Amino acid sequence: MDFANLTSQLNAGTILPEGIVIVTLLGVLIVDLILGRTSSRWIGYLAIAGLVAAIGALYLQWDATNPISFTGSFIGDDLSIVFRGIIALSAAVTILMSIRYIEQSGTALAEFIAILLSATLGGMFLSGASELVMIFISLETLSISSYLLTGYTKRDPRSNEAALKYLLIGASSTAIFLYGVSLLYGLSGGQTELDAIANGIAAANVGQSLGLVIALIFVIAGIGFKISAAPFHQWTPDVYEGAPTPVIAFLSVGSKAAGFALAIRLLTTVFPLVADEWRFIFTALAVLSMVLGNVVALAQTSMKRMLAYSSIAQAGFVMIGMIAGTEAGYASMVFYLMVYLFMNLCGFTCIILFSLRTGTDQIAEYSGLYQKDPLLTLALSISLLSLGGIPPLAGFFGKIYLFWAGWQAGLYWLVLLGLVTSVVSIYYYIRVVKMMVVKEPQEMSEVVKNYPEIRWNLPGFRPLQVGLIVTLIATTIAGILSNPLFTLANNSISNTAMLQATILERTQVSAISTQELEEL
Amino acid sequence: MLSFLIWIPILSAVIIGFLPGKLVPASRIRLVSLIVAGIVLCWNLFILLKFDISTPGMQFEEYLPWNETLGLTYQLGVDGLSILMLLLNSLLTWIAIYSSDKETERPRLFYALILFISGGVAGAFLAENLLLFFLFYELELIPFYLLISIWGGEKRAYAGIKFLIYTAVSGAFILATFLGTIFLTGANSFAFDAVSTQNISAGLQLVLLIGIIIGFGIKIPLVPFHTWLPDAYVEASAPIAILLGGVLAKLGTYGLLRFGMGMFPDAWTVVAPTLAIWGAISAIYGAVIAIAQTDIKRMVAYSSIGHMGYVLLASASSTPLALVGAVAQMFSHGLILAILFHLVGVIEAKVGTRELDKLNGLMSPIRGLPFISALLVLSGMASAGIPGLTGFVAEFIVFQGSFSAFPLPTLLCVASSGLTAVYFVILLNRTCFGKLDNNLAYYPKVMWAEKIPAIVLAVLIIFLGVQPTWLVRWSETTTTAMVATIPPMEKTVVAQVVVK
Repeated sequence: MDFANLTSQLNAGTILPEGIVIVTLLGVLIVDLILGRTSSRWIGYLAIAGLVAAIGALYLQWDATNPISFTGSFIGDDLSIVFRGIIALSAAVTILMSIRYIEQSGTALAEFIAILLSATLGGMFLSGASELVMIFISLETLSISSYLLTGYTKRDPRSNEAALKYLLIGASSTAIFLYGVSLLYGLSGGQTELDAIANGIAAANVGQSLGLVIALIFVIAGIGFKISAAPFHQWTPDVYEGAPTPVIAFLSVGSKAAGFALAIRLLTTVFPLVADEWRFIFTALAVLSMVLGNVVALAQTSMKRMLAYSSIAQAGFVMIGMIAGTEAGYASMVFYLMVYLFMNLCGFTCIILFSLRTGTDQIAEYSGLYQKDPLLTLALSISLLSLGGIPPLAGFFGKIYLFWAGWQAGLYWLVLLGLVTSVVSIYYYIRVVKMMVVKEPQEMSEVVKNYPEIRWNLPGFRPLQVGLIVTLIATTIAGILSNPLFTLANNSISNTAMLQATILERTQVSAISTQELEEL
Repeated sequence: MLSFLIWIPILSAVIIGFLPGKLVPASRIRLVSLIVAGIVLCWNLFILLKFDISTPGMQFEEYLPWNETLGLTYQLGVDGLSILMLLLNSLLTWIAIYSSDKETERPRLFYALILFISGGVAGAFLAENLLLFFLFYELELIPFYLLISIWGGEKRAYAGIKFLIYTAVSGAFILATFLGTIFLTGANSFAFDAVSTQNISAGLQLVLLIGIIIGFGIKIPLVPFHTWLPDAYVEASAPIAILLGGVLAKLGTYGLLRFGMGMFPDAWTVVAPTLAIWGAISAIYGAVIAIAQTDIKRMVAYSSIGHMGYVLLASASSTPLALVGAVAQMFSHGLILAILFHLVGVIEAKVGTRELDKLNGLMSPIRGLPFISALLVLSGMASAGIPGLTGFVAEFIVFQGSFSAFPLPTLLCVASSGLTAVYFVILLNRTCFGKLDNNLAYYPKVMWAEKIPAIVLAVLIIFLGVQPTWLVRWSETTTTAMVATIPPMEKTVVAQVVVK
């Protein structure tokens, strides 16, 4: 193998965005070592600049002619680009939030950002990974960084407990995932690349053997943990409550997007033989997540815990698109994750802002807030209503697209359940709005009565404000002006060779089966 | 042209909501929103003038592509079914703003929400795309919730959340049926003209139609789904009650006519007999429960259930005359309910109670509220269907049109019309007549400004009662065209009987 051929096979330009993130990560660490705490004034902006540059690089790679790189272990197709973009963007907004939050907790900012960037890196690699070892390594990079982030505020016992819980559950679910992956390696006769595994399994003629089904279930256990689908969700409420809020913001968007990217790539490529089986399992997960997430969220008193259950429920909605398995289904997933980024990060920014000013995040303490902080009230209301799917906000269009795609694929009961649980979700989202907006001045909580004067010029508040306003505007208008996002989501699916093949196969199969039905 | 009806109120709502306090002091907000609502009303009248009553189809159509993936287009149009509803919406918005308390707390939010609702309702009446309709339909949800639960009565929190959940469920039903309809027709757009239910099997059509009936039945409200209404109407302040009863209920009947009858004419004939009986039961139920009430606002609220029953009866009959009557009844019920709620609001503000046991002798010329009482008598009569007032005209057309199709339910409705007279007489007897309590009767004066909305409405009610052409001429061609699509059910039945 001559050198030129090797270079073309490596095709290392595909991971330029990740390269930029790595350089930024190292830059952040080194600057911190050299300058110490004094650098914390601008180090956040350095990291954001790096992430923005990475997103720019992703943009340039859109519709790359030769997406396969590293001899097949990484694919830079449009699907991976969309997911890598979502993850990088969520990291950028998370940094905007965390500058003040981490400073206030008395820990080092640069260290935090460095771990956050490595989590981002893990997530971005996971989105494009198409080889078992690569998938596992990037998954572990993401997970280990997440454990560290969860326990970052070391002096807070709740944060410690959350980290321990997350670590124990995470490590065991990764082990289960690893076991499933090793089964795949064995079943396919020693292949590690996803395509080759699929071919190997098909060639070995094991069909829908027990081994394949066990491998599938073990893999889904790992994926379900990342996207916090019930019944793999138990860590979510506790971790969300204990971990630093910016970390939660990242976990709920970035980490979840990475989980969905992995799910799409792994399940559609490796398990075409048991496609009906994994659709069935995901249907069960979606039903459980929608019901449990939405119903249990009704009974929460802590804002972060409520959003934890809400994020379980939202994962259930997203799974509808995945079960549909059509082009519109996958596109609706991507679109929903994009708008989910704006709504959730906007909501979490408000929660951070409130807890920075008052030091609490109990729902009851928000009462009467509109008088003291109208901007915060507006932004939190809009983001929660959008999560509930109220028009004309972004979440409404996201849900409509998911339901429409689900309906087109014949998932009537799932869509109806989604509609019913959406009604339930409106109730607990509006409860917070009611606390903030409806309560009379005399019903104000103690905390709000002593609300500090709003000042944006304190260190670290400007980036929070910028993040808040940008996500607020995006949540408000991303629905009405949704055409570019829709085009992006649709193109990312239609330009992805791997998905096209599966979708085609599926439509053919269903066409044949309907034909058979008609003949009968 | 039609877009202005939606966007003037919505944009001004956003502007009012975010206007810095220094530029426009809070005390001026009411004036500003009154002007905005006035402009919209004038624009609506202008459209009414330009409206060509001889064409059955949509007029002043507007089209913009919006979201092709979802099949969502920005498509507006107005026809005989919606033109009066639009007018009602902008008129009642103006009146609601006018009749709202000058010292409303948090005026910025209050008027912004009212204008927002006005724009949203106009959008729903104008939309020519199912998804666009649904979008505007759901747009009302949160503003109304806030309006009830911030500026309402004592149990406003309960009433607000109840309203919210019922309406959200109604939205879920409607969305499910819309998705189902479009999917089954195989259309890739939600636009009205892309929908044809011809090739859906009869059984599925029936399922979809039932979804629509339940979805809109909650909003109308029909009897088993009505339990949100008394709470929401009673706890809402007078201007909000006017909007709720006058405008929002019409959205339900409009949806039933446009989507139930318009999209599923075949299945409609199947359910029509049930609907007619349902409407009659609704009417009787509303009237009987109203008789038992001791709170005048509650009485008016239940009277609303009764009157919407007539609309259901008329839509079920689907004769040309009955449909004209349905539209007329929707419009005149909007006017009558608005004047009743306004008057009740004034009485409550002046006297301080709504209880029938405590009110007495308001007709007394010097120390009572003679003018308000006189108007109350007039509007009670209009509601009960006394000739010379618009209520009679509408009800008479409804009965005349429905009798040939469903004689028994029509008779029941006539009976309930009589019961309406009963409880309004009780109401008038206990409030306007009798003697004033000498210890308590020191009521504040009713200002001219408070009388104006009632006078405007009263003039309209009398005018349309004496000159009913102006009530029915707008919808005649459209409803006749709609009836033409309904398979002639009665004739087949008659034919079978004759053959036997």
